[in-house]
Amino acid sequence: MTFRGKRPFPRYAVLLLFAVLLHLKVFAQTGDIKGLIRTEKGEPLPGATVILTRNASSFSKVTRTDSIGLFRFSKVPADTGYVIKASYIGYTTHVSERYSVKANDQLSVAFRMQENNGQLSDVVVIGYGSRSRSEMVGAVTTVKKEDFNVGVYSDPVQMLQGKVAGLNISRSGNPNENAAVILRGPSSFRSGTDAYEPFYVIDGVPGASIYSVAPGDIESMEVLKDAVSTSIYGSRAANGVIIITTRKFRSGQSHLSYSTYGAVERISNTIKMANASQLRAYLATNNVAIDAINDDGVSNTDWQKEVTRTGFSHNHNLAYSGSNQNSSYGVSVNYLNNEGIIKGSSMNRFVVRTNLQHRAFNDRLKLDMNVTNSITNGKQIPGQVLSNMLTYMPTVPVKNADGSYYEDRSRTTGTSGYYNPVALINDNTIQSKANILLVNGIATVNILKGLDFTTSVSYQRQRNDTDLYYNSSSMLAQDYTGYAQRTNVSNTKKVLESFATYERRFDKHNIKLLGGYSWQEDRNGDGYQVSGYNFVSDDLKWNNLGQGNGTTVNYGDIYVSTLRLISFYGRAFYDYNGRFLFQGSLRRDGSSAFGTNNRWGYFPSVSVGWNLHNERFMKNVNFVNVLKVRAGYGVVGNSTGFNAYTSRLIYGSGSSYFYYNGEWINSLTPVQNDNPDLKWERTATMNVGVDFVLFNNKLSGSVDVYDKRTTDLIGDYTVSTTQYPYSTMTANVGAMSNKGIELALSTTPVKTGKFSWTSAVTLAHNVNKITSISNDLFSASQFYTAGFSARGQSGINGYQIIKEGMPLGSFYTLKYAGKNADGKSTFVAADGTVSSDSTAFTNFQVTGSAQPKLIYGWNNTFRYGQFDLNIFVRGVYGNQILNATRADMNAPIYANTTNVPVSTLSESIKDDKDHFISSRYVESGAYLRMDNATLGYSFATKKNYQLRVYASGNNLFIITKYKGIDPEINVAGQTPGIDNRSYYPKTRTFLLGLNVTF
Amino acid sequence: MKALLYIAISATIMLAAAGCTKLDVPVESQLTTIPNTQEGYVAATGSVYQKMSSQSFAVDFWRVIELSTDEAMIPNRNGSYYDNGQYIKWHKHTWTSSDLATPWSWGYSGISECNRVLNLLSKADSSTLRTQFTAEIRTMRALFYFYMMDLYGNVPITTYGSTVSPTQSTRAEVFNYIESELLAAVPGLAAPSTVTLAYYGRPTLWMAYALLQKLYLNAAYYTGTARYSDAITYGNKLMSESGLSLEKNYMSLFSPDNTANKETIFVAVFDANKATGNYFTRYTLHGTLKAKYGLNFSPSNAMCASPEFFDLFSLTGDARDTTWLSGLQYDFAGNKIMNGSYQLNLTREITLTDAATMNVGAEVNGISCGARSIKFYPDPNAVNRYQNNDIPVLRLADVYLMQAEALLRNGGSTATAMELFNKVRARVGAPTVTSLSLQDILDERGRELAWEGWRRNDLIRFGQWEGTWGFKTGGESTSRRLFPIPATEMVLNANLVQNDGY
Repeated sequence: MTFRGKRPFPRYAVLLLFAVLLHLKVFAQTGDIKGLIRTEKGEPLPGATVILTRNASSFSKVTRTDSIGLFRFSKVPADTGYVIKASYIGYTTHVSERYSVKANDQLSVAFRMQENNGQLSDVVVIGYGSRSRSEMVGAVTTVKKEDFNVGVYSDPVQMLQGKVAGLNISRSGNPNENAAVILRGPSSFRSGTDAYEPFYVIDGVPGASIYSVAPGDIESMEVLKDAVSTSIYGSRAANGVIIITTRKFRSGQSHLSYSTYGAVERISNTIKMANASQLRAYLATNNVAIDAINDDGVSNTDWQKEVTRTGFSHNHNLAYSGSNQNSSYGVSVNYLNNEGIIKGSSMNRFVVRTNLQHRAFNDRLKLDMNVTNSITNGKQIPGQVLSNMLTYMPTVPVKNADGSYYEDRSRTTGTSGYYNPVALINDNTIQSKANILLVNGIATVNILKGLDFTTSVSYQRQRNDTDLYYNSSSMLAQDYTGYAQRTNVSNTKKVLESFATYERRFDKHNIKLLGGYSWQEDRNGDGYQVSGYNFVSDDLKWNNLGQGNGTTVNYGDIYVSTLRLISFYGRAFYDYNGRFLFQGSLRRDGSSAFGTNNRWGYFPSVSVGWNLHNERFMKNVNFVNVLKVRAGYGVVGNSTGFNAYTSRLIYGSGSSYFYYNGEWINSLTPVQNDNPDLKWERTATMNVGVDFVLFNNKLSGSVDVYDKRTTDLIGDYTVSTTQYPYSTMTANVGAMSNKGIELALSTTPVKTGKFSWTSAVTLAHNVNKITSISNDLFSASQFYTAGFSARGQSGINGYQIIKEGMPLGSFYTLKYAGKNADGKSTFVAADGTVSSDSTAFTNFQVTGSAQPKLIYGWNNTFRYGQFDLNIFVRGVYGNQILNATRADMNAPIYANTTNVPVSTLSESIKDDKDHFISSRYVESGAYLRMDNATLGYSFATKKNYQLRVYASGNNLFIITKYKGIDPEINVAGQTPGIDNRSYYPKTRTFLLGLNVTF
Repeated sequence: MKALLYIAISATIMLAAAGCTKLDVPVESQLTTIPNTQEGYVAATGSVYQKMSSQSFAVDFWRVIELSTDEAMIPNRNGSYYDNGQYIKWHKHTWTSSDLATPWSWGYSGISECNRVLNLLSKADSSTLRTQFTAEIRTMRALFYFYMMDLYGNVPITTYGSTVSPTQSTRAEVFNYIESELLAAVPGLAAPSTVTLAYYGRPTLWMAYALLQKLYLNAAYYTGTARYSDAITYGNKLMSESGLSLEKNYMSLFSPDNTANKETIFVAVFDANKATGNYFTRYTLHGTLKAKYGLNFSPSNAMCASPEFFDLFSLTGDARDTTWLSGLQYDFAGNKIMNGSYQLNLTREITLTDAATMNVGAEVNGISCGARSIKFYPDPNAVNRYQNNDIPVLRLADVYLMQAEALLRNGGSTATAMELFNKVRARVGAPTVTSLSLQDILDERGRELAWEGWRRNDLIRFGQWEGTWGFKTGGESTSRRLFPIPATEMVLNANLVQNDGY
């Protein structure tokens, strides 16, 4: 039988079916991948970038984890050889391979990502970007939160003290004083500490104030030491760069963390001054009369005890953060209250930070917004308290019978006078308030694969207010019945940074390019000072200046100035197969502070690195995990600490008037020469380093050797007023060199089960030398600095000398030759003879140097189960300190008017040169300080809660031969290493702390 | 497409931003030129007068020219004011080229200021004020040159804006230059009857005449050629053309509230707040005198007179005797002023406990060595160490005594000389004279002009610079009549040649 009519399956239908089946087959060949990413602690990790690729193909898909850490790739072709790569800032990139996707199947994957902590996988923050440690070609030390020093710190940089080879930090116990920081020796001899300060970059904002950040909010600090690392910051980088990265968002849905500590601080050391009976006996034995006004016959006052106290300090830090798929946010609040150990001195600081990040267009646009506001309130004491607490007579009482403070008003007035230190504290109120607002917005656009464009705009406004009132009994305002002064000054900084980066890896070739532009304008000194005096009452202090009866206003020396910096910069990095690394960078900087002929300068750098451990010949050297050698050369400038008008001819009226037509009027006269050739100080550094990780990661470290040469040093040269309008000229003349070696070692000698011991050592040696201070235009055979006054010793040009061949901070004093038969101090004269009369300046010679030969730190961490114990020792060696405080005190001829230390009582009262500043008072400044011991316990908690308690002690003991209160004397500035009657004693601190995270 | 858009936007932003390479910022708070207005030029001349109304003049310069004479000395007071022997060297004439830099830098900065201001004035629009200011500043420059030539001998004559290190002119050349400058200034200077407030502290015709008179009086010493008749000419011109006369009250010339008067010709004006630098009281009085004079600060007990000089004040009835404090001290109510447990005793004698360091030792039994000057009377209105007393530089009494001296030296009328001399005497109630010697004139100048800055010039002119006073043994080389060129200047300018004997 045959069908007639239509065939049930026509031919086209068969074909269609076949096609459909074929099609179905195609659809059936895909599957899904679902995954969960968690942290090591098991918390979900939102916002992690997940990339899916397949071996030997161009297949690539990208997604991001959602708010509960989940990601999904749909319709993935069924195949084998898939690779999942997940990355997140602060975490080691996770790579899983050899996944197979089956048709119509769902593949589930889950893995945990580890936080970065291994040395080489670390991401190092560098100027305008970041690098993995293995890509680094410069000398950069990273210190992470967990390695920061523990203590009552208002200045974040103190957390690095002793932790970074080559970084020399000193700070007294004054809560209102900032630390002095100097990296790899001084490379300037200008006055003012700004010229020596490293350049701070906070979350990408160059030049931001370090005091806008609470130490507790800092996640890591990178210290960029050589020119290879710093030259991208050009004219501001000669003193090194410190990049601060603050706490950003933590993974997970939301986190609340609270940390706090309370601390007790005491004076760490006092000077043994004679007590009243010792002093009376000494004077009586020597038949020296003491006026009744200086001895009431009964009093025995210990002035050091009278002005000091136990200080209580506490800090609270509350932070909240969270994130979802497209945005992250964080808020933190920090409050620090730091009570000084000298009565009347204290500071508190309140810092609020918020940061927001939003990601859009498949993460191709990233917007960041950071706002920080820091308010610091300081209460200060007059500096004279620090000298009078030592030398005020113990033979008089604190107060008279009528309740008023005891004073000897017959003595000469003056700022360095003899005043009752307790009265100084109570009769004078000095308050400061600094309000720093920092706003920063960053937009990053991903344009093409590997090509990103970033624009960052930031605004910083710092308002400094100082209020001062010397009351009607104040010895500092004896001519007035009350003196009040207010100063309100704002400094603003606007910065625009705009840069593009291109980072791609092509097989074995890894390329990273950077090009950018920067514009900055600083407007400083916008404000005024006013004063009033002769008030009817002390009650109103500075709050109603108009009520003063005084007529002269002290306007101070405050004037507004604008400084503009414009820069172009570029950097190219290339590495071949992780083995050979090359980098070159160039920055062109222009500054309005410099002379019209020299406003623009170029700052280049080149460097090479070789990762030896990636070489085939090293494959069998099993004990070497990492071995890298790197070398670089670069040039940077120093333009910080500059008045915006330094290079200009300025007419001023000074502080004096002249008499014209029966009136006193202001005159106009040049107060500064113009120098159209003025330019930045230029520092060229050659740095060679080796990084290594050995013995299965048990020992790691690096060694750096550098040769840093600074030229065009700026000095004020005396010029003849027959040729120039003004008697000094600020010019680029001198040269200086710093050569040194730095070693950082970290080792884990023991790691068994519950117990581990890690130990880290830093050592740094630097030799500073001034190589020239003259050229063919300007010459000086030397500059005398530190020309402070000392009793009976005027006609001295300075106690330090800046001279070719000498280090900065060379002490220039008499050379002590012991006592003669009469018990009188003798000195070596210029002609070599010894006499007690050779005290003129012409007999002075170099008697020491403030530059240390060695700076070191040694940190040990022990862990046992939940316990951790940290012990940190640091110190310096090979430097001297001019103990002018001791010299001044050690004056037996004045023992009936100012107190002397107990040690003086065994010296002849006839020695009228005992206190003359000589090599006798140039003392070794070497010390070893037990800086910190911290014992902590971390509670085992459920899930992601964390709770840690700790107890800590700072400055537990010190080993030193120094005879002053403490050898940690200011190391920075033009005249380092001088202890001259103004040292706020260092403290010893005991602290209890708690950190908790929910 | 999207990528292209991103690139376009980014590139635009970057170019727009990078386009800004302007580094010029406005200087908002400082003057970088002198305003081309009358007020601007008035203000511009101020820096010249500030050189006079300054500590550099009243302390630094003054000490060098006075502590090197018998008028004043600072003994080492038990370690205080030893100051590495500085004051001893000045007292004993044992200074070196390192000890005398301040007068030079003061004088030459004054000259440079004058040069600079004259250059500014030369560019101003022509006016009577410009003519007068130019003459005044030229007179001031002549005064600074006079001081420099008097102290250092062969000094450079400098010009504004030269980048070449100047060379020295001979003393005679500088003398001629000063003379020609003063003569050139004469037509432009104001000639008020007396120096009123409008001109107080600034040059007038009378200052030019008085300075010319002083220049000519010293000509024999400066150039080897006597010019006494010229000195007499200008003294006469001053006396006949001006309405100047001696003030009745000698002390009022130096008091804290001294101001324009009939006698003072040129003065360094001081103010306790606005032009500080005069602190005679602070460096002269003993601390225990604070209450008596109502001072707001404690004097620091430094300067006193040499006993030989103090002895000049022995004329009967001489009001100038009251310019000294000596012997046991009482307050105004007659109560003893106590120094420790004893009455303060400012002895004429200066007794050393250590000769090498010229140390008078600790104050025993209330004794504090040396007579103290209160000629520049202590100022109770000064809130601190700075006082309001103006310091006369040239005044009519000096002109009278110079005229008397010039007449004697020139063989002129002794009667006229005596008449002028006796005017000075009569004003202070001291006995008049009937005969007059050169030594009488020197002694009278000491009494009349004590601490006014002329003693060094006088002693040299009278050949008594090498004399004996205080702890100075005298008889030193006459090369000490010139100060050495400061060592610091020798470094700055290789063209300078050091004076003989240094």
